[in-house]
Amino acid sequence: MFCRGLISAWIAHCFATALILLGGHARADEPVVAAASDLKFALEDVAQAFTLKTGHVVRLTFGSSGTFATQIRNGAPFELYLSADEDHVLKLHAEGLTRDRGALYAIGRIVLIVPPDSTLPLDGELDGLAAWLAAGRIKRFAIANPEHAPYGQRAEEALRHAGLWDAIKPRLVLGENVSQAAQFAISGSADGGIIALSLAISPQMIPLGRHALIPADWHAPLRQRMVLLRQAGATAQHFYAYLQTADARVIMRRYGFVLADENG
Amino acid sequence: MDWTALSLSLQLGALTVLLLLPVAIFVGRLLAYRRFAGKPLVEALLAVPLVLPPTVVGYYLLVGFGGQSLLGQWFERMAGHSLVFHFSGLVLASFLVNIPFAVQPIQRAFESIPHDVRDAAACCGMSFWQTLWRIELPLAWPGVLTALVLTFAHTLGEFGVVLMVGGSIPGETKTVSIAIYDRVQGMDFTAAGQMSLLLLLFSVTVLAVASGLGRRFGRWHGRPGH
Amino acid sequence: MAGPDTEFSLSVRQRAPIAIDARLHCRGGEMLALVGPSGSGKSTLLRMIAGLSRPAEGRIVCADACWFDRAQRVHIAPRHRRVGYVPQHYGLFPHLNALHNVMAGLGDVPGPLRERQARQWLERVHLSGLERRRPAELSGGQQQRVALARALARDPAILLLDEPFSAVDRATRETLYLELADLKRQLSIPAIMVTHDLGEAMLLADTMTLLSQGRTLQSGVPRDVLAHPRDEAAARLVGVRNVFDGEILGHDADAGLTWIKAGASRVACLLSQAWTVGSTVRWMVSNTGIRLRSRSGDTAEAGHVPVRITIAALVPLGDMLWVTASLPGVAAPMHLRVQRDHAQGLHPGANLEAELHAGSVRILQPEDPQTGSARSC
Repeated sequence: MFCRGLISAWIAHCFATALILLGGHARADEPVVAAASDLKFALEDVAQAFTLKTGHVVRLTFGSSGTFATQIRNGAPFELYLSADEDHVLKLHAEGLTRDRGALYAIGRIVLIVPPDSTLPLDGELDGLAAWLAAGRIKRFAIANPEHAPYGQRAEEALRHAGLWDAIKPRLVLGENVSQAAQFAISGSADGGIIALSLAISPQMIPLGRHALIPADWHAPLRQRMVLLRQAGATAQHFYAYLQTADARVIMRRYGFVLADENG
Repeated sequence: MDWTALSLSLQLGALTVLLLLPVAIFVGRLLAYRRFAGKPLVEALLAVPLVLPPTVVGYYLLVGFGGQSLLGQWFERMAGHSLVFHFSGLVLASFLVNIPFAVQPIQRAFESIPHDVRDAAACCGMSFWQTLWRIELPLAWPGVLTALVLTFAHTLGEFGVVLMVGGSIPGETKTVSIAIYDRVQGMDFTAAGQMSLLLLLFSVTVLAVASGLGRRFGRWHGRPGH
Repeated sequence: MAGPDTEFSLSVRQRAPIAIDARLHCRGGEMLALVGPSGSGKSTLLRMIAGLSRPAEGRIVCADACWFDRAQRVHIAPRHRRVGYVPQHYGLFPHLNALHNVMAGLGDVPGPLRERQARQWLERVHLSGLERRRPAELSGGQQQRVALARALARDPAILLLDEPFSAVDRATRETLYLELADLKRQLSIPAIMVTHDLGEAMLLADTMTLLSQGRTLQSGVPRDVLAHPRDEAAARLVGVRNVFDGEILGHDADAGLTWIKAGASRVACLLSQAWTVGSTVRWMVSNTGIRLRSRSGDTAEAGHVPVRITIAALVPLGDMLWVTASLPGVAAPMHLRVQRDHAQGLHPGANLEAELHAGSVRILQPEDPQTGSARSC
């Protein structure tokens, strides 16, 4: 019947499919770096400087630290991982997925941020926020999702510390990562939010919002750790080392990524 | 303007269409012309990607083809890289998710060929391939075109599945829809707006061209007069 | 030339999806009309002959080639059967012009010859000049001719026509009758035409087979079948309006008549001694076998039996009167048609005499639900 023709056509089709799937883009050594989204602006600058200096290129992808950790466990091909919370790094290390315990790159801070024209009294102790909450003037408030974003967890801790969690919980808008939370907070659809300091002071964000630093002892410290993963190649290792040089630290400090032993 | 992402999206769309269309033609024809037990179930299964949220589909694909799965590990041995977080994973995910968009218009097109015409073709001494190529496809061609356009456009816009299975890796799985999302998160609204507009214009043009072509070829065939 | 090697015969049975129990036989050069109401399975049978549908059991043979035999597990695909098939709505390929439609059937013919043969066939069906037209640009009659040309160009072993004239208007139909009759004379293959129109069958067919609910009831020369249906189903199919219950009274060998009691009346039919006296039968009188007596009381003509009837209703239609009457003691009404100008004294309730022609009265065979009754009468 037509069977013969049909079977040969089908085999040819499967062959073509296999070729396409198994082939794929031949990539020179351009490692993929997974970084917490609060590093968006800072890391792009560092990467640029790195390329200028060494001629090597790294590909950056930003997102929630928790999500990256899960993806790494599922075989994501990242070579360097910068997490906003060292817990993720240490767990991965315990599971044998990393080369070593990595290195701290910053202590994170959180800020309260509001749109530029907001009349909410802005202070790091959140008294203004408390007053507006009591008066029912807070309609929506943005934080990163505490389930998998470190900045979200810290925001929750700070709000609990201020005794505002229960009141503000029904008003929360959760960002998938702290970048998205920042975007919600200044978009005008929310009355404000709690986001990363590093995002708030980046040149792109400055004109878009006003912020106040929340005391560091209101939440567990955000020890931000980076680590090379098992499959890290030469360029990734280079970049990791570069991140710890003085040149890179200058850029990082400019964006608010400060280490304990640095003035900031 | 992220040209790499746009190029990735176009490649993904083209590859999906290339791989899916022949399969959809055969499956669509089979469903149009054969009766068999369990046919409603098969049709329902094929339509599942239409109703499931893309993230659910993405989740199952991740579980089914990820590094922990048998299939994923087999693939990694064969290809040297994982299926997920790789362009090939996107192609596979896109293939599966677009099945109803491709199969249904083609099935309807085959169904709309009057059975008198098919009977006459069989009695004219034509083999299965001759009938398919010279009689059925020329008549079902608007449906194939619709399938092609829908699949391509849908792939360009795919977000949830691509993000879950691909992971937004620049130059590999960061398609234009993810790039737009990324730009918005980075407060770069100009770039996001540019890319969105480009995508919109592209989609509208493709749809308009396809619609015009379909009507033009449709004018060939009147119905046999009664 | 017609001969045993061009003969066609079919015998198929199935229960589902459509119940079929059919026997057909047609010689080369002959046209067989397959007649039956809608839903009787005519098209299904045709498709089985073409190979488009596979019966559950049976055997189909054409020109000494076995096309289907369940017992031997033979089933030749349509494309290998050399069938000329014209579907009910012609099945022309809408995207091809007339010439290419005819050429589509000529796959076995080498390239350059194909176009020439196709043109010749279009000429033969009087469509020269219209080769470049698409089916949508052709009239119903022209489309039918293209379909015919396409079917015949393949030099088929049998020609199958599914209700060929149902979709055309009267004037075109008459032209087509002539052309088909003409073509038929030139062909030496059997041809089977499906129709629900007895008149067409009478005009064009050499043999007629009655089909009802998938069963072949009777086959024979159309005139004979019309005049002498075997059983009640056949009778209804050929349009007999009057079928009644009766009881055999006796046989009169000298007069050549058998007497039947119908209610309070007696009617006679031609001697049929096979029926035992006293048995209950169903009997019919053909539509031309009843007429009203001009004057009651006169001696009946030989061969005509008078009966008393009472008029129940009169409906004028055209230049005829459709009369419903009753026989005393008989529940079923009697239907007759009377010319308007002969209708004096007719009104509901009027008692008159009618004459039944003995040659037109027949005793019907009981319907046998098991076998199809398709023997010639």
